[in-house]
Amino acid sequence: MTEPLRLRVISRGEFVPPQIRARLARDLDFDIEFIVLDSTRSLQQVMTEPESFDVYHQWHTSDLIWTARCIQGIDLRRIDTGNLLKAAARARSGVTHTVFDRLFVQDDGSLGPEPGDTIAVLPALHGVDGFVWRPSHAPALRPGERESWGWLLDPRWAGHVGLIADPVLGIIEAALATEAQLGQPFGDIGNLTIDEVDTIADYLIHKKKIGHFKDTWTSQAEAVRLMRRGSVTIQSLFSPAVSQLRAEGMQLAVADPAEGSRGWHSDLCISAAAEGERVDAAYAYLNWWQNGWAGACLSRQGYYFIFPELARPHLSAAEWDYWYDGQPASEPLCGPSGEVTIREGHRREGGSYRARMASARVWNTFMDEHTHVTRRWQEFLSA
Amino acid sequence: MVTAPEAYYEVVRRVLEDNIRTGALPGGTRLYVAALADRLGVSRSPVKRALELLEEDGLLRRNEAQGWLVGDEPASDVRPNLHLFELELPDSGSATPVKPGWERILQTVADEVVDCIPFGIWKISETELCSHFGVSRTVTREVLTRLHERGLVTKNRASHWIAGPLSAQMLGELHDMRRLLEPLALRRAAPHLGRMTLIEMRERVEAALAAPHQPAIEDFDRIEDDLHRTCVAPQPNQRLAAALPELRLSLVVNRQFSLHVARHHESALLLEHRLVLDHLIAGDAEGAATALRFHLDADHDRARARLKVLSVFGEPDAKVVPYLMRIV
Repeated sequence: MTEPLRLRVISRGEFVPPQIRARLARDLDFDIEFIVLDSTRSLQQVMTEPESFDVYHQWHTSDLIWTARCIQGIDLRRIDTGNLLKAAARARSGVTHTVFDRLFVQDDGSLGPEPGDTIAVLPALHGVDGFVWRPSHAPALRPGERESWGWLLDPRWAGHVGLIADPVLGIIEAALATEAQLGQPFGDIGNLTIDEVDTIADYLIHKKKIGHFKDTWTSQAEAVRLMRRGSVTIQSLFSPAVSQLRAEGMQLAVADPAEGSRGWHSDLCISAAAEGERVDAAYAYLNWWQNGWAGACLSRQGYYFIFPELARPHLSAAEWDYWYDGQPASEPLCGPSGEVTIREGHRREGGSYRARMASARVWNTFMDEHTHVTRRWQEFLSA
Repeated sequence: MVTAPEAYYEVVRRVLEDNIRTGALPGGTRLYVAALADRLGVSRSPVKRALELLEEDGLLRRNEAQGWLVGDEPASDVRPNLHLFELELPDSGSATPVKPGWERILQTVADEVVDCIPFGIWKISETELCSHFGVSRTVTREVLTRLHERGLVTKNRASHWIAGPLSAQMLGELHDMRRLLEPLALRRAAPHLGRMTLIEMRERVEAALAAPHQPAIEDFDRIEDDLHRTCVAPQPNQRLAAALPELRLSLVVNRQFSLHVARHHESALLLEHRLVLDHLIAGDAEGAATALRFHLDADHDRARARLKVLSVFGEPDAKVVPYLMRIV
């Protein structure tokens, strides 16, 4: 008797809520072990011990893990949506071209937009994140004032600002805020130079010393606690946490900032070490994600599936109209767990799928000067 | 890469002991500190210390008047000209046959520092550096001054010696210069390169390409040295020769990357190397220079991507030497 196959999947908690796990257990004929990891240590593990996992739900690390070759190329001929993906890449009409820019494995082994039969990662989910604020606790705003990332560093909010502690995401938001507040444009917010990082870090440290920030958070749970406690009234927040707080009855405004928002995408990858039946199981798992059901499930917490039309049959008309079409909710809408998170009449901030994705000014990424970013960020956190 | 820490006077003592035992310094030879220091091309204090140690070992005896005498034999000459003695010296023929202390450890320190800087900022302790290598403050200062000239270390406001971080910006700036200078050096060196040597180099590249696995780190270092050191070495411009080593920091990134990340391909690099060697073997210096520039550009892109991967790791792969302390 050989051991029954158990597919080892590294993911973030938000991507595999219980509803998804239950459905997977029903649909696939092998066991899945979810390893929920989200830290620098886990990224090190992914890069140095590909034999410790089979599938990885990557999140803004695709260029790193491809450089490290800890993942293997994915054969699009084995993916049900392979042709759809190539067509989408060729069309480049979508709002997700960033997802396709470094997706296909080129002849020289690098990643590029030219469609071929091998991809490094299989696109699954994407979205834009911004900050949230509590209108009931807001300072006086100017008439017609647009929401701005600059608010995070605006003296009017002093003492009530929360910040994400993760340097990769944090520096992007801090850059957007610094740019808006200092009126000093940066060359490429997604790839800051050493001087730009220094400008931002110096400004943040100064702000911290004068008591501008209430706190920083390292997990969604912490972020939610900060908002609940009432001391933090403005901070960045991921959409599942927004849904959670709204379900609890908190009045929250999700900003649609003038400067644009921070885009992200999450994709599926297969370990370089997987072979034989593990590879087959990995492909089965990847194809399961492409069938639209999971995409629909996670759409209910504000994520977008790479092929919205495939998710559509799994969403009610009211759900589709609210999440993808930007219309007011025609009825109360539930999150993945079945709890009401959207009250009737609410309209999603930023509007439709296209409008919201088109607002992505910068995408989550490790910058070239990541070492410097980490160093200065650490200095800020401990200041 | 790490040399055993050996105090400088120990080196001098060993050199003298060897020459006494072989008879190159025969019994009865009268040794004066100043004359011996001049013959060995070193300063006086390590010579004096070495002579004292050899006296303790009974290989020398102190002369009543001044200086020392080799062995037990009576003094042969009042003031021998030591330059007439055929001595076995580590680097005979050069102006400094026994390398000065700083020169012996300079490259080791440079390598050890460079291995750490992709991972952040490090403080160099002079005291630890002294005791690690068993050298004096004078020697460590000389070493650090020279590393400073190379741009590898700086002094911060608190006057501490600081190394790193190796930034993408620094890598880019070095690459800008390297892509101009190294092909120039290769073009000038090409006429002086032996065909057989080049063919052997290409064979090493072919062997690495044919191997089912990633080449061993030593083989890989050899391949890198073949092209980036040996092939450019015969060019006549001394300033160019002095400038090139400091521009090769991307080698460190590639090296650390291969130590941390087991699975990756070097076939692109090997194919690029082979292309340069093919041009050299064909006698096409201009083509070799162009192929080298192409390789340097491609390698720079790889090094940048790899530096980013390294930035996720906190530490160099090998144990960090005790004189380097991480600041961030």
